[in-house]
Amino acid sequence: MIAGNANNAHRNESVALALLKSASAFFIVSIVVLLGYLTFEGTKLFTVDHKSIFEFLFSPTFSPDTGQVGAAPFILGSLFVTGFAIAVGGPFGLAVGVFFSELAPPRVAAAMKPAIEVLVGIPSVVYGWLGLTLLVPLIRNMTGSTGFGLLSAGIVLSLMILPTVISLAEDAMRVVPNSLREGSLALGATRWETISRVLVPAARSGLAVAVILGIARAIGEALAIQMVLGNSPTIPHGLLNAASALTSEIVMDMGGAIQGSVTQHALFSMALLLLLIAMSLIVLVKFVVRRAT
Amino acid sequence: MIQARRRFTDAFASGALWGAACFVVLMLAALVGYLIYLGGSAISWHFLTGMSSEMNAGGGVGPQIYNSFYILILTLVFTVPVSLAAGIYLQEYAATGWFRSAVQFSAESLATVPSIVMGLFGLLVFVQTLRWGFSALAGALTLTVLNLPALTRVTQEALASVPGTLREASMAVGGTKWQTVLRIVLPSSIGPLTTGIVLISGRIFGETAALIYTAGTSVAHGRAAYDLSPLRPAETLAVHLWYTHSEALIPDVTRIGNGSALVLLMMVLIFNVVARVVGRALTMHITRKA
Repeated sequence: MIAGNANNAHRNESVALALLKSASAFFIVSIVVLLGYLTFEGTKLFTVDHKSIFEFLFSPTFSPDTGQVGAAPFILGSLFVTGFAIAVGGPFGLAVGVFFSELAPPRVAAAMKPAIEVLVGIPSVVYGWLGLTLLVPLIRNMTGSTGFGLLSAGIVLSLMILPTVISLAEDAMRVVPNSLREGSLALGATRWETISRVLVPAARSGLAVAVILGIARAIGEALAIQMVLGNSPTIPHGLLNAASALTSEIVMDMGGAIQGSVTQHALFSMALLLLLIAMSLIVLVKFVVRRAT
Repeated sequence: MIQARRRFTDAFASGALWGAACFVVLMLAALVGYLIYLGGSAISWHFLTGMSSEMNAGGGVGPQIYNSFYILILTLVFTVPVSLAAGIYLQEYAATGWFRSAVQFSAESLATVPSIVMGLFGLLVFVQTLRWGFSALAGALTLTVLNLPALTRVTQEALASVPGTLREASMAVGGTKWQTVLRIVLPSSIGPLTTGIVLISGRIFGETAALIYTAGTSVAHGRAAYDLSPLRPAETLAVHLWYTHSEALIPDVTRIGNGSALVLLMMVLIFNVVARVVGRALTMHITRKA
């Protein structure tokens, strides 16, 4: 009887482990299938339609119906709004992360933290709707432009990456050992001197990761910016110009693209490009973390 | 003199950090207030339960709200077991080695895949290759892949919060590893686990980009709108908000948009509050029993 139980337990153990392992293997299968599918579909533009990669990356004209598949306007649009978001939202997010870790009294942190979580949870269409009803008219009235364009999209994105940067920056600061804080303060440094000259340098790799993942968040955002960018497939000349990004162009054109058409192939190439950018940011994170340890 | 300047810099920098944090919170409050101001008048019983309209004013979002919950539940049915299992494996079982590194790297990569790209993946696999067409199931499976990494992370953190002494005690009285995980570790982590699942549910409820080309942008009319079949097009509330703004022909787009945006915001707030309250209650319950 006892031996039977032990046998059962042993069998359960190996069945359970097999199940747990296969669930974990599902991750590997997913990313491999995803990469495979998108690489296959995303390269048809070059293999089936015989367009050059050079044209896709650098030509400023996107008009797949006439055979022109230059995605440069969208690549530039994506890079610009992402750059804007990091330039504005990055320092801001880092500052708030440092605040939560170093300055905020526990009660204040407990009161403010839920607000950050709500910011994460707000759907991107709602950010887009806010941009559309609040920001676009505001910019229109202030500048006389249409209000749609890089500036509006950049501001919306700056807000959207804040929670990512804030929480990762806070985590990065928290893992700095207390002995560094105590040592610095014991030497007579003020709190700000401790933060700026001891803690931030000690946490720099974690803070860099916060910014990199903020970039990943920004470059992949689709709907919020599609709603305020103005969706013009041309190379923008200024902050107030309407523009388009890789993500927003996919959202706009995929619905009307015929399966197997050059348009659809070009859109899948753009999706593949986004995927490669996201993956290289992850590799960059790995590199930064490894170099720090 | 130098002392005074250092003290001034310190006070100034602290003030700036306080200012940045307060600014974020005030801005959120302002945005919430603005959405309530915009959407308050649009929301009525008829709006929340009524059928949507393609051409005329006065439509509601009843089917869209139904679809949002439908896809949420379907997604959780797939995501929760897989990410629980993966989380348990990574946290309790996996020794360091190539398999663990590969799983972890895959999870991190999946976590950064932009949701619109995930949507195209769903379009290719479920809508086109498997020929399901735009359907709730295609949408739910796409969201499953999209949310697995986050939910696995939640599971790992919840399990990590259980003290090692509990595991040792269970093993010491002859429990196997699996018995320990199933009867001791998992129940002890139920609080943070529930909080995490509910928070991620809020995100699934509001997801849009991954659904446009998988679950589609249309709903049936009349009683068919509340169909139980997973193989029908199922526009969610978030998709509806995007779609009405960008494509639809109805004259009262602004009213529908304001109302939908407010409902989505309220759902996020409700999910956040429920996550916290239920998570805390479960933790209290389990620690009192122990």
